[in-house]
Amino acid sequence: MSSAGVVVKPESRAELRLALADLQQFVEQEVALLDEQRFEEWLDLFADDGAYWVPARAGQDSPLNHVSLFYDDKHALRLRVQRLRHPAIHSQVPRSKTVRLVANFKLETHAADPSLYQVTSKFVMLEDRSGYARRLFGGRYTHVLRRKGDGLEIVLKRVDLTNCDQSFPSLTQPF
Amino acid sequence: MTPYTSEYLRSLVREDRVHRSVYTDPQIFELEMEKIFSRVWIYVGHESQIPNPGDFYCTSIAHQPVVMTRHLDGKVHVLFNRCGHRGARVLNEESGNARILTCMYHGWSFRPNGELAGVPMRRDFQETTLKEAQSGMARLSRTENYRGFVFASLNLGVPPLVEYLGEARHGIDELVDRSPEGEIELWAGCHRYEYSGNWKLQFENLADMYHPPACHASTVGPDGRQFSRRPGNRGGSAPFFAPNGEAIVAQTGVRGFKNGHSSEASLFREEQAGGIWDDYRAMMVKRYGEERTAEILKNRRHSMAIFPSVDILIAQTSVRVIRPISVDKTEVQVYPVRLKGAPPEISTDIVRFVNLTHAAASFIQSDDLEAFERCQQGLASSGTEWMLVARGFGQEVDEGNGILFGDRSSEVGQRAQHYAWRDLMGAA
Repeated sequence: MSSAGVVVKPESRAELRLALADLQQFVEQEVALLDEQRFEEWLDLFADDGAYWVPARAGQDSPLNHVSLFYDDKHALRLRVQRLRHPAIHSQVPRSKTVRLVANFKLETHAADPSLYQVTSKFVMLEDRSGYARRLFGGRYTHVLRRKGDGLEIVLKRVDLTNCDQSFPSLTQPF
Repeated sequence: MTPYTSEYLRSLVREDRVHRSVYTDPQIFELEMEKIFSRVWIYVGHESQIPNPGDFYCTSIAHQPVVMTRHLDGKVHVLFNRCGHRGARVLNEESGNARILTCMYHGWSFRPNGELAGVPMRRDFQETTLKEAQSGMARLSRTENYRGFVFASLNLGVPPLVEYLGEARHGIDELVDRSPEGEIELWAGCHRYEYSGNWKLQFENLADMYHPPACHASTVGPDGRQFSRRPGNRGGSAPFFAPNGEAIVAQTGVRGFKNGHSSEASLFREEQAGGIWDDYRAMMVKRYGEERTAEILKNRRHSMAIFPSVDILIAQTSVRVIRPISVDKTEVQVYPVRLKGAPPEISTDIVRFVNLTHAAASFIQSDDLEAFERCQQGLASSGTEWMLVARGFGQEVDEGNGILFGDRSSEVGQRAQHYAWRDLMGAA
């Protein structure tokens, strides 16, 4: 964890706006990596103790007492990226193309650790795969981010889909 | 126009092949609802889904909405989810708790055992009408519970459940016995996935040890090992290939049972061990003794598929339910299991690992879903009328009690399913 002094908490309104702008830019760049299928660079954004979580129940409070659509630690995330690059990933023949729109950014206080930045946003994602019907997903992102040197790393990316408790056809693309 | 006589339906399944219309013809699907799903025992749910009086869980059998309830006396019932008055579906949420079940249309209300409880402006009805069974929520009189697994049948003359399960009941035993208290709970919700394909494509896959090297090729890492599919420092991950280059999974055996049940031998060689799994084993030894514990934890079976509705995932410690929606639409639910009395970390580990194998986004299931959809698309072609389940045909070993064993990923399990299909669909 960053030592005191590395984490600069925004005090004034001007600094708050600046911090939110930085965090917003980070999230926009993060999802752009997914749009562009730069999965390895996306993986590198996650902290070694980071996780990618898509709950399967509205308001789910833990990934351990209920199933999730995704709950990947960094190791599982690495396997997922390897699989997305594997020449024999049949569910990606043909490949998906995706685009994400992110908006309504809010900076929140992280309940357990005030040195972490918690940013929420709303998103919509389109997935097109040639020969298949267009798929539309939407919901809320929660990014828990930590200062790492001059930049940030992802401690948690949580995706709350509006239809998280429904039945899904195969999901290959992280949201 | 094809006349769907019993003789015709029988002719669609041959010893080593199945006619493609069995997957693609909507009228055959409707006949399956009538001649299979309305005739045999269908898994409804597990009693742990309704632990308290008034708890309910809604599902369907052969398109008919049913609800599993726990009455105030603790007894489990399966009712038709339909108001006795004008027929509206009474419960509209999948699960919940209500001591009185109230119909939204005119406000008739029912007890969890199906009895009529209240009728608004009652005096305008003849009491004799309200006293008829018709006026309650009708019960499925053939409801049985095997070690917590609740099955029901629309067929009043169906033989007892244990008779229907036969030797396949051991698949349930082998899962439930893994609890130090001999009880399991479905406690963590379920994965739900769906595909544009016939329900039998999923069911055949439950006995398919032949597909992993091709279908799941992308799950094998550069080190030649598949990702760790179950928890434990040991016994979770396994080498994927044998020294001769064949996938080990495809060298394992399969069994076909009477009434269409099937099981796969375990992929794993080692007991799950390390960390909390050692504590768990000690609890099991304390309860059952060393010899019985070794017997219970033996990697005997990967799974047991109970035709036509449920799959006991012994290696993955979960329960999978197959729900046909239409001829080319199927929904599947996978419930991670809690082994009652085992350390909590065992249960949470199971939840985490089932995410990796059986979520709609999982490494394994997404490949299978792709395969099911491609089968449905391919079977639309009329160039070849049959699809083959011929692997290991003629090499089965009769183990007695209606069990046929075939090694090296024999398609003996799929044949057992299709022979049961033929017997049921071909019945007069």
